[in-house]
Amino acid sequence: MSEHNVDVLVIGGGPGGYTAAIRASQLGLSVGLAERAELGGVCLNWGCIPTKSLLHTADVMREAMAASELGLEISKPRFNLKKVVKRSRDVAAQLSGGVSHLMRKNKITVFAGNAMFQDKNTVVVGDDTILADNIIVATGARARNLPHIQADGDRVWDARSAMTPTFMPKKLLIIGAGAIGVEFASFYNTLGAKVTLVEVMDQILPAEDSEIADLAKQSFIKQGMEVLTGTGVDEVKVAGKSLTALIGGKNRKFDAAILSVGVSGNIEDLGLEAIGVEVDRGFISVDEYQQTSVDGVYAIGDVAGVPCLAHKASHEGIIAVEGIVGEMPHPLNKERIPGCTYSHPQIASIGLSEVQAGERGEIKVGRFPLLANGKAVAVNDTEGLVKTIFDASTGALLGAHMIGPGVTEMIQGFAVAIGLETTEAELMDTIFPHPTLSEAMHESVLSAFGRTINF
Amino acid sequence: MPREIYLVKVGMSMTEGMVSEWFVEDGGQVKKGDLVYALETEKVNLDVDADYSGTVKHLVEVGVTLEPGDLVGYIFESGEDIPDTLAGAPASAPTETKPEPEPTAPEPVSAPVAASAPIVSGDGHIKSSPAARRLARELGVDYTRVAGSGPGGRIVEADVQAASQSDAAVPAASAEIATGPEPKASPLAKRLASERGIDIRSVKGTGPGGRIVQSDIENAAVAGVSAGAAVVSGPRAGERVPVKGMRKTIASRMHQSLQESAQLTMDMEVNMDDAVKMRNSLVEEWANEGIKPTYTDIVIKAVGKALLAHPMMNSQFLGAEIALMTEVNVGMAVALPEGLVVPVVRNVDQLSIKELAQETSRLAIAAREGALGLDDYAGGTFTVTALGMYGVDSFTPIINQPQTGIMGVNRIFDGVEWDGDKPVKTKKMNLSLTWDHRAVDGAPAAEYLVEVRNLLQSPYRLLV
Repeated sequence: MSEHNVDVLVIGGGPGGYTAAIRASQLGLSVGLAERAELGGVCLNWGCIPTKSLLHTADVMREAMAASELGLEISKPRFNLKKVVKRSRDVAAQLSGGVSHLMRKNKITVFAGNAMFQDKNTVVVGDDTILADNIIVATGARARNLPHIQADGDRVWDARSAMTPTFMPKKLLIIGAGAIGVEFASFYNTLGAKVTLVEVMDQILPAEDSEIADLAKQSFIKQGMEVLTGTGVDEVKVAGKSLTALIGGKNRKFDAAILSVGVSGNIEDLGLEAIGVEVDRGFISVDEYQQTSVDGVYAIGDVAGVPCLAHKASHEGIIAVEGIVGEMPHPLNKERIPGCTYSHPQIASIGLSEVQAGERGEIKVGRFPLLANGKAVAVNDTEGLVKTIFDASTGALLGAHMIGPGVTEMIQGFAVAIGLETTEAELMDTIFPHPTLSEAMHESVLSAFGRTINF
Repeated sequence: MPREIYLVKVGMSMTEGMVSEWFVEDGGQVKKGDLVYALETEKVNLDVDADYSGTVKHLVEVGVTLEPGDLVGYIFESGEDIPDTLAGAPASAPTETKPEPEPTAPEPVSAPVAASAPIVSGDGHIKSSPAARRLARELGVDYTRVAGSGPGGRIVEADVQAASQSDAAVPAASAEIATGPEPKASPLAKRLASERGIDIRSVKGTGPGGRIVQSDIENAAVAGVSAGAAVVSGPRAGERVPVKGMRKTIASRMHQSLQESAQLTMDMEVNMDDAVKMRNSLVEEWANEGIKPTYTDIVIKAVGKALLAHPMMNSQFLGAEIALMTEVNVGMAVALPEGLVVPVVRNVDQLSIKELAQETSRLAIAAREGALGLDDYAGGTFTVTALGMYGVDSFTPIINQPQTGIMGVNRIFDGVEWDGDKPVKTKKMNLSLTWDHRAVDGAPAAEYLVEVRNLLQSPYRLLV
């Protein structure tokens, strides 16, 4: 049993927690970090990163399958599932090791184990008792189950099982068409599974602009998926090597199902109630500086509420730490958080959807299809649209929504624009390099004001 | 020999002025007849032409107060040697050789600055649609005082329309132009500040590195509305504002008016039901032509028509005699950020309401753009001033000397008329008449006010 004194203790070593810890160290604070599993959290180990490895495999395979269109003769590519999964795990392991290194470099003491509050300044992790002036809860979230459908890791998979498959299902049911469900749908569909994507809401990717979501749906259907919106899965029965799902009154057979119906905050077994931290619908309530209802206790990232995105978590980590040292940070503006889905086609967005923006006032909407973009034609990938939404009176960029190749890398251009509060005038005045897919961003802005050149 | 450029004298009463802008840079070329500098005096702004062609050299900087006739620069003909340093700065110019240029315009008959409305400094702001702002411009409504009913409290066209009908609206104040280096601000913040008439220099930035961002402008606008323009443009607590230019003129004229005349004010309630109906129908009738009469227009018309029947109210008290004016020229007070101006609607008795609405709209726009000519100020015989858009129900306007009366226009509100024992909701408005007791006694002044009231209560008489 050893006792430690630190200025800041971070509970959870995901992208929010480890970023907060590093920032605190940079600001001269002594920092401890408690992690019960792997450094890097879900993002690095069981989320963002390993799925990008899987999806990259799928992207290369898709391109190889279309190689003849480019004048290449390649025999039909085949995958080795074991190797595909192994690469994904290796990538995660490599990056998790990188976080370890960062902790050492920044002189952050890592405590391995489950953390439990004794009081608002004392946390016990295994044999260690840590006294901290400030504690940042960054415990993240985990995949939700449904009351009537639970992941079993055998035939009904959560995200973790879905990224470590031991066999390729011939027929795969995906329940929930948020970003996670859609990415798995895209991966498995490309590798040959017959995918049925079911979403209870009226559109897939419910967080996205409906026009973009509709384009994605059309594309998925064209690629061979079955997409059912406004549809729930009423029952899943596993029998041996298959399962039966009751969908829209019909029993359907699948080899496996992925449950991707959102996440819930990891608020349990921390002793939060004992010290009086308020929670609301499964997430810790915080103010704009990430302060919880208990003085000196902060919460960041998934556990502090939606949207559950790594980049939101790390940003909140910085806000919390800078608030602790009294550097007046700027509260997070949730309307300026970009979101990306790495399916094929990719989807990326920031700000308000057309419907949301329209509810606030008069808007101008620009659209530019990739079909009219020279680079898209050259690289044989013209499926896509760049949509921009402006406040008609002020010219403020309220939202940008993109679907198509490369858009997850391009959205940052609009994120910078929104962050700097540019109006249409500056965007129009910016020179976009030719030939690039990003020219479609420029054209979309021009289009909102009736000035598009190439369409 | 270089040719001199002088600070021209505009009107006999001009005692000081300044170059407010050089249109030709120091060392730049000018052609005879081209604009060379902008003159600003306490009364007028005037663009001055070059009398010769050649190279312009400045002797004075923008904003330095000078006397008329002071040398402000030279024009060198081509081929002339231009010295690096020029002697003859205005202070050292020999006075005996100083020419007295002829006045370039007639002395205004009536003071350009007068009346009693408070000076509107910088306006607070709520979100508004472009269409609403355009309509506000057309109707002469200060849209920043309008409550928004659109999404998020945004001011929409209907709100402006409603405001123009419930208030006797006068033209809005325009943005004040301040000086000093422009602070770091996002493009959106700059645009919003400019649209909302907020001086961005007075806004505290809270973005990264103290950068002024959208929310700062919005907060400034809100603070301006609730705290009386403490954050937006205009003087701040602790500051000392020099009394000069327009402010100086207003101060001396208002004080002089109260000292020299025997003025007093009376209020009278007017049933505005018919006037409201008539205005609404006229607005609809002339919508296609883009002509929108305001309540102030209708009051000006009634005031003018009543003056014909009460010529003593349209007079000037000159000590030994009272001069009755032959024309009915009604000044309308227009609040600008830098002070109040009173352009004059001439021959109000001969104008139809439509013509009057067009003229007041022209004068209001010209006033905001600083484009009023001396003629626009000249010859006023009576004045109308409105504070209704601020919810004012009664005030004591100060007479614009040497006139005899000034009519204060108040808010239109939901009042009560009695139909037997039953209260009936009725549109009401108070008129606040200040008159000069030296010229007119209380009873005839009241008779005049009754006449105006009767005209407004039977407003169709104003159409004939």
